[in-house]
Amino acid sequence: MRSRRLSAFHRALLLSLLGAALLIASSFVGELRAYEGAQVAVYVIAISSITLLTGYSGQISLGHGAIMAIGGYGAALSFSLWNFPFEFALLFGLFIGTLSGFILGIAAARLSGPYLAGTTLALAVGLPTIADQFKVLGGEQGLNFDIGDAPSWLRKIEGEDFTQYKWFFWIATIIALMVIWAITNLLHSNYGRNWRAARNNPVAASLAGINVARGKVFAFTVSSALASLAGALFGLLLGLVTPTAFPLSLSFAIVTGAVLAGVGQLAGSIVGAVVLVAIPELSSALSTHLGDSQKLIANLPGLVTSLLLIIVVLFMPNGLRVRIFKNKFKST
Amino acid sequence: MLVHRRTTRGKLAVTLVATAALVINALPAHALNFSKEDGVTQSTITLGITSPLTGAAAPGYNKVPYAMQAYFNYVNDNGGVNGRKIKLIIKDDAYNPVLAKSVTNDLVLQSKVLAIVGSLGTAENEATTRFINDHGVPRLFINTGFSGFANTAKYPTTYTVLPSYVMEAKAMGQYIKENFAGKSVAIIYQDDDFGADALKGFATAGTNFVAKIPYASGSQADPTVVGKWISGLAAAKPDVTIMFGVSSATAAALGGAYKAGFKTQWVLGSVGGDGTTIAAVAGPTAVGLLYGAIGASFLPAPTDTSDPYVAQFQAINTKYNAGVSFDNNVLQGMNTAMLTVEALRAAGAKLTRANLLAAIAKSGSTFASAGFAPLGYSATSHIGYNGYWFGTYGPTGAIKPVGGSYTLYTTDSGTGAVVKTVSKRPAMPEKGLPNN
Repeated sequence: MRSRRLSAFHRALLLSLLGAALLIASSFVGELRAYEGAQVAVYVIAISSITLLTGYSGQISLGHGAIMAIGGYGAALSFSLWNFPFEFALLFGLFIGTLSGFILGIAAARLSGPYLAGTTLALAVGLPTIADQFKVLGGEQGLNFDIGDAPSWLRKIEGEDFTQYKWFFWIATIIALMVIWAITNLLHSNYGRNWRAARNNPVAASLAGINVARGKVFAFTVSSALASLAGALFGLLLGLVTPTAFPLSLSFAIVTGAVLAGVGQLAGSIVGAVVLVAIPELSSALSTHLGDSQKLIANLPGLVTSLLLIIVVLFMPNGLRVRIFKNKFKST
Repeated sequence: MLVHRRTTRGKLAVTLVATAALVINALPAHALNFSKEDGVTQSTITLGITSPLTGAAAPGYNKVPYAMQAYFNYVNDNGGVNGRKIKLIIKDDAYNPVLAKSVTNDLVLQSKVLAIVGSLGTAENEATTRFINDHGVPRLFINTGFSGFANTAKYPTTYTVLPSYVMEAKAMGQYIKENFAGKSVAIIYQDDDFGADALKGFATAGTNFVAKIPYASGSQADPTVVGKWISGLAAAKPDVTIMFGVSSATAAALGGAYKAGFKTQWVLGSVGGDGTTIAAVAGPTAVGLLYGAIGASFLPAPTDTSDPYVAQFQAINTKYNAGVSFDNNVLQGMNTAMLTVEALRAAGAKLTRANLLAAIAKSGSTFASAGFAPLGYSATSHIGYNGYWFGTYGPTGAIKPVGGSYTLYTTDSGTGAVVKTVSKRPAMPEKGLPNN
């Protein structure tokens, strides 16, 4: 039986409704939740980049934090030094990251499995520290800037309490939903089908006329575009880019988010992102409850993340997808 | 063959659940509206600190917040401040500005602290500036010497405790001019704002270098980089070498010079010259490399038990911070906590953020503290101590003042002269409990 899928138009409608609901909800929440919501939206984009690359194209990257750094520095440089408007700074970060991803993708297409993982890991370790070598990138202190407040017309509509964090939430949420829409469409196109075919059986895919290497390069490029967009947003929302803002742990965090979400589930990236943002808060509440010792404060977030990963991998290998309706299976 | 059928209803459900998760995540904060007297109740004052408890910068610095907490507990056991007990909420930022921003959000918006005190790091404090300014949160006695924080228009609620790196370099340049006249001088410095501030200060002091060796932060872990420092020094043959970097870089430079047999008179910046931190990052044997070097400080030596502040803080540390060795980090943490208590007392019983800031601007320069240098707080200056004394490291890494007495070199972050003075430190309040 043919599965009933939403058309691109219906997906756009659904995501628009979701976006409207979230933007309305932001009027009723405090600044902290608005900031966390913006973080969730950025993580959604970053996790989607891993989901697309690993879940659909079968390539493993442990270095997407470095690509986020490229996007972040590109946007920050163009905004703070070249005075690009905010929107163009985002696009510049996206462009630089996509270009880097294309070049990396050519190399990545020749590697697979642990070799690709190792190469991208080295990238995550080395690339952010390059910023230390160039004065224009601000060295260890990085580049510091302020994207300012929401446009005055929007503040007039939303009122006095439309803070910068709520403005961040709006920007990040709208972009994240647009990304989900675009990527869902892409995955439902010939490109998505070709990626899945090449992932499942490269030889069979080649025999079927699919250019596997080109598909891998394209997937790596699109994934890098997403990661750099997330990095650009990340930097602009933070108002700062430094080498320490894109540590190795960031690469691991987005892979963790993808695993928690279920690597092959684009929709799950929202759940993965919420969990990633919620873990520090959960750990903080837990450590307060358990006595707030130095060891607890320092180690609990890592412990909670590790335990969650183990539980998910053991008992929910498809991720923390929430199923209200049981899947129906049909024998054919 | 089984075919997994994804229904439209299923997709809608996942989307709705995800939306609900976000909205539910958002809802509890609705009640947490901001008010100006956040962090103050009839019986408590809540403060917050962000500091590295994990990661590369944690060794040594992770002692600071707990030393502050120990001092606050001591004050609480002795009646608190105007009848209120102080609660310090400690958050780990791992020396990462992203985390610093997140945890500062938590402290201000969720824990509703009155003020942030003693937070460490230039980038980490920079990352939260817009938010701190927007909310008018006092950010007191932060642990960075970046001279940019002297800009009171840009950082209206921020007060630093350390002298700026420009001040330190100016004082050091003057000390070298007086004590090593005619000698050749070289410098190894961190190539960022930290080092730029230092070069600015040395230029103002008129220090000329036969070799200037910059290094990228983090590159000190690479032995080939350290090898290049030493070969560069060996070629220039300086009589005096200034090391203006973090503890790991200082340990690497001293170790590299020792292995290469290169001899010079080392003069160490205060950031990288703490023996305990060097021992933590490079092993206990590294402390011996400090022997004979000259260092700078504005606090008494933590080993100087004849100093009343050191003796009092050691006693507090033994009782309230059991098992933690007393060193410069503990001393600095307790000193910062003492300044905080004095600021809270000066703000009066009707404690608000505005009162607190006004009290420091008005009377901060008179606060009693362990520092030998005067405090520069006023309505127009938010920089804390404004000078250094110089000492010599012994074989155990303990630093003792040159000539046996604390001679201060005070100055500003601009082009003002360096003035050599004798410390007129206010006497310690009885039992180390502020009485201002």
